[in-house]
Amino acid sequence: MKFTKIKTACAAIALMFGLAGNSALAADLRVGVEGAYPPFSWKEADGTLKGFDIEIAEAVCKELERKCVLIEQDWDGMIPALKARKFDTIIASMSITEERKKQIDFSDKYYNTPAKFVAKKGSGLEISKVGLKGKRIGLQRGTTHQCFMEKIYPDAELVLYGTQEEVFQDLAIGRIDAQFSDSIAADDGFLKTDAGKDFEFTGGDQHDEACHGPGAGMAVRKSDTELRDDLNRAIKAMRADGTYQKINAKYFEFDIFGG
Amino acid sequence: MNLIIEYQAQLLSGTWVTIRLALMSLVIAVMFGLLGAWAKLSKNFVAQKTAAAYTTIVRGVPDLVLILLVFYGGQQMVNSFGGMTGLWDYVEISQFAAGAGTIGVVFGGYMTETFRGAIIAIPRGQIEAGVACGMDRFTIFHRVIWPQMVRYALPGFSNNWLVQIKSTALVSVIGLQDVVYNGFVAGRSTRQLFTFMFAVLMIYLVLTAISDLGLRWLDRKYSKGVVRTDHG
Repeated sequence: MKFTKIKTACAAIALMFGLAGNSALAADLRVGVEGAYPPFSWKEADGTLKGFDIEIAEAVCKELERKCVLIEQDWDGMIPALKARKFDTIIASMSITEERKKQIDFSDKYYNTPAKFVAKKGSGLEISKVGLKGKRIGLQRGTTHQCFMEKIYPDAELVLYGTQEEVFQDLAIGRIDAQFSDSIAADDGFLKTDAGKDFEFTGGDQHDEACHGPGAGMAVRKSDTELRDDLNRAIKAMRADGTYQKINAKYFEFDIFGG
Repeated sequence: MNLIIEYQAQLLSGTWVTIRLALMSLVIAVMFGLLGAWAKLSKNFVAQKTAAAYTTIVRGVPDLVLILLVFYGGQQMVNSFGGMTGLWDYVEISQFAAGAGTIGVVFGGYMTETFRGAIIAIPRGQIEAGVACGMDRFTIFHRVIWPQMVRYALPGFSNNWLVQIKSTALVSVIGLQDVVYNGFVAGRSTRQLFTFMFAVLMIYLVLTAISDLGLRWLDRKYSKGVVRTDHG
């Protein structure tokens, strides 16, 4: 950690000469998190934040030997807050997409869960161009999944919803033939609940690189290349020393890092 | 129900933020409203035009857009100015200040119109009578204009206030942990969104019901000696 010491010394000298300190040299790493997306992040009754993203954030800080300051932020204001320097990075299951890359920069992926269809048990729904033709498929609008369906299965009839909860509700009522979403979200949010007991995954993993992208990454401001490299280093180190796998095992039955 | 009891600390702290935010923005709104009404009715050309521009802009732009603009845009502007001039590196605009300030200034626009209408409703002759009696301007405002203005303004004011309480919900977008934000997070965390949204709904109803009682008391107080003829 000699390098850190040199950097700190440089920062101290810079400060002595009245130069503005670079935020990347600051000791605290301010992380924007969501707290409303279980099992990745949620809030306990006593107000503490829990979940996969939260533990990953803490592990990253430990790896980088910086103090973690978790800052809760509503999803809609996440990117503006990063740009306004309310925090330095976003660790909140944010998918790396070309659209977002126009505004901000991403680390390498830290997880990539497959997308899957969910339909009624024994529905016999065939996941193919012919099988989905004219079928009503529910999904959350503005997501990577909408991009996928429009590109790969253009003949299916898409029913778009504002939130994932609404999709599950209409699937349970029977207004749609199937739904398409992230497999973890569907498993935890629907299949494992009472409302989802008559439903199942069907058709296996679906993936399209152009639509789904490489997975979820940690977001940084475009100018913060140093922090981005630090985060990439931390992700690699966590994968190598087993920290990641330990956290993963607490929440999921399989390795969500993906291939 | 058990979940609500479990998360009651979150809901209560959120409610407290909502109440403080509503009261703080009300103070700002009334100040801007009085100032705006005065400016609109003054003979000063600059004051008139400034007030006209103010009410046109804040009443014409969605509150949400203004809040986002002040909180994110304002901070980016302040910080890039600091960075350019080298005066400071990072300044944080507090969520509470941005929220209360924006909502206060926006509703100040509505209050301006409410107060202006109420002042106009006072017969001109009464003010002239005050002048004739040798009252100075403060005495005329204090004894003639204010008591009647309050009475005329109360119905419009009550409307503004009720809308304003509910508008505080917009601040959850900038991450201020008001009752909507905390209710939403608790709902998503427990996967019982409707339970918590219902609780939030009840909390707002209680807040507005209490306001209603207070406003009715004010109405009685300022209507003393006035005979209502409109409903027989």
